[in-house]
Amino acid sequence: MEIFSAIASAVPGVFSIQVIIAMLVGTMVGIGVGALPGLSATMGIAVLIPLTFSLEPLVALGMVAGIYNGAMYGGSIPAILLRIPGTPAGIATVFDGHRMAKKGDPKLALDISLVSSSLGSAVSAIALLLLAPALATVALKFGQADYFWLAVFGLTIISVLLAGNPVKGFLSACLGLFVGLIGIDSLTGNQRFTFGSSELLSGVDIIVILTGLYAIPPAFDLMTGKAGISAGHIDVSGSREKFPWHTLIPTWIRSSGIGLVIGLIPALGGNIASLLAWNEQRRWTKNPDTYGTGEPDGIAAPECANNADTGATLIPALTLGIPGNAVAAVVLGALLVHGLRPGPDLFRANADVVYGFMLTMLITAGFMWLIGKFGSRLYVNILRMPGTLLGPFVLGLTIVGVYSINNSLFEVWLMLGFGALGFIMEKLAIPTAPAVLAVILGPIAEESFRRTVLISGGDMSALLAGPISWILATLTVIAVISPLWKAIWPRRAANSGDEAS
Amino acid sequence: MKLKTKILYAALGSTMLAGSAVAEEYPTRSIDMIVAYSAGGGTDVAARTLVPFIEENLPGDATINVVNRPGAGGEVGFTALANAEPDGYTFGFVNLPNLLSIPIQRDTDYDLSSFQPIADIVYDPGGFGASADAEFDDLESLVEYAEDKSGPVTYGTTGIGSDDHLSTLAFARQADIEMRHIPFDGAADVRAALMSGEIDLAGTNVSELVDYADSGDIAILGQMAEERWDGAPDVPTFQEQGFDVVMGSDRGLAAPAGFPEDALSTLEKAVEEAVSDPEFLEKAEEQNLPLSYMDSEEFGEKLERMNENIQELWEEQPWVEE
Repeated sequence: MEIFSAIASAVPGVFSIQVIIAMLVGTMVGIGVGALPGLSATMGIAVLIPLTFSLEPLVALGMVAGIYNGAMYGGSIPAILLRIPGTPAGIATVFDGHRMAKKGDPKLALDISLVSSSLGSAVSAIALLLLAPALATVALKFGQADYFWLAVFGLTIISVLLAGNPVKGFLSACLGLFVGLIGIDSLTGNQRFTFGSSELLSGVDIIVILTGLYAIPPAFDLMTGKAGISAGHIDVSGSREKFPWHTLIPTWIRSSGIGLVIGLIPALGGNIASLLAWNEQRRWTKNPDTYGTGEPDGIAAPECANNADTGATLIPALTLGIPGNAVAAVVLGALLVHGLRPGPDLFRANADVVYGFMLTMLITAGFMWLIGKFGSRLYVNILRMPGTLLGPFVLGLTIVGVYSINNSLFEVWLMLGFGALGFIMEKLAIPTAPAVLAVILGPIAEESFRRTVLISGGDMSALLAGPISWILATLTVIAVISPLWKAIWPRRAANSGDEAS
Repeated sequence: MKLKTKILYAALGSTMLAGSAVAEEYPTRSIDMIVAYSAGGGTDVAARTLVPFIEENLPGDATINVVNRPGAGGEVGFTALANAEPDGYTFGFVNLPNLLSIPIQRDTDYDLSSFQPIADIVYDPGGFGASADAEFDDLESLVEYAEDKSGPVTYGTTGIGSDDHLSTLAFARQADIEMRHIPFDGAADVRAALMSGEIDLAGTNVSELVDYADSGDIAILGQMAEERWDGAPDVPTFQEQGFDVVMGSDRGLAAPAGFPEDALSTLEKAVEEAVSDPEFLEKAEEQNLPLSYMDSEEFGEKLERMNENIQELWEEQPWVEE
């Protein structure tokens, strides 16, 4: 087959010593920027681009591939150990990952995350290698109305996240929706809630609010010695319980599927893939009562999905020039620097380099596993560090990280403001996940809704014009109604049972 | 001569010496280049590609640091540039028409007079793209299509107040047809919406369309340059087709007003040499960058002219409703 000969001819280029070193270094850097709160793959790659001018294209792109894959996994390390997700895609990993660590088995949590991430990346890279042109058309099947329903469907996860206390959860979601409104309204050019500040014109960066809400309160807890996890009562020796291989296989299959599909659709990206996968796994888990309190499949699902998203996001990016998220956009920048113009011509004109790049996506998935295998023994030692040292260290990192996004001191203050808010929310037991989810999905839902109605000239039926819209709308309705149904039905059954007896 | 005067003379003499030494040696330290868009974006990649060539042509071993100040469609970076100390050590990329359209749309801390133009580097003409299987493939058939269509023709652009938006407003007025603007977040989104059939027309820079025209997915109806761009020699201009629309996006270099003369001429010369370096030309072609060098004087005149045009358009048809 043509595609296999194309891949085969790209192989020698990939296994040169420089490219292998570049992939190793990239993966390590990626795990690092993913793990450090405030730093992200987007920034890691953007900073790298100018340094790669003089390098061979594949050396540069191998490093890019390593950073992209590594950062998605790296985000889970602090999520598990310190309940600070290093990236937005790590939020779902906090739920089960941190609880498992708290119960005394951080090593197992880290290993599940590592294996799941590596598998997700590998599946994604294989899909990218073999199916890119075929799957690219999926991106073009999605219209504005479909994006709207997809975002709304994503928002229904909130209803699950707030299961414990609906009022508090909604409050958090409303905060997120409000923050999503800030900035210039891209459909009219008017300013919303900018309070005359030019710094707010482009809205609030997701990393700023994520870091504020998620990294500052735990850092504060560490400093005051209130952190719920410390080396004293957990095992940091590196031994752990047996790895639950067989029970996780179905989870990996489902979650990598979710990650792939979400990655193919521009706009959503790994952040949402991990939450959707965690939520979906909840319906399949063998232990529904303890899911969310430290179950292995609750770590495997989000971590597998957010890495399965990496290669898939590159499919529309490489073939159609449509970057699905911020990372894919900077990857396109890196390609451009080396004279590779994304789009229909890319595969024809530069097949060797493109297939080589895809291969490095696959190989770095393996490197990630190798590095993580040795690394996770070291990471656990973070917990040996006294909180009074670790807390200020984390705080310093977040400030540096957030400042470096846009070189803006304003955003540092904003992040600290969200930190204070996050602290208060935590004290009041208001969940923060709905807020972050709403910041990501709210603007997508709003803009795609308004664009649909703008194109149709005010005709609302355009929202349900296509089959994809119908499917997503139906799923949304089911997702909203089924918890209600479950809440009401057993009670009725119990009532009628009483009467019968 | 009194001792005091002697000291004064000596002091004066040494300052003058020091002064001339500085002039000869400019730059004595690293220079910041502000880019008003995020790292990895089109302007950033172009800037970082150009920087080593400017460095090479500056006296001594000069270094230029690219500083990204993204936000508010460029306003954050433009404001930072306008307010920078005009000491010769800060300059930056300015993108047109954003630089000029933003102060018209809202209050800003800068206007055109806050800047000292250095050079225009890239001029990327605007263009109209249609799906390859659309009923129209040039401007005349587009106008016919619009007249027959029951509703307005929908066109996507990269946003309110973008060059594509402004030029389409001008086109619709000249052609006397009804067109409905659908703003998107970037050229890639516009292209996706066009290729999936959601919108009738894409208004983006021609360089964003040529690869897709080559592959047969998109037909380019016209380009808004005065003369056809080398990268799209088969696409007729709007003027050739009877519409006086000349618009595009420029990426030029500017400094804060009051920039020292000697620094300006040193930089200007280095930039001119950089953009004619064969190695740079090759990189620019790989990246599909339509180069169009102008020196500081020409670029300044262009800015004035463009500013007047945009002002006029705003007065006739403000594109942001209050």
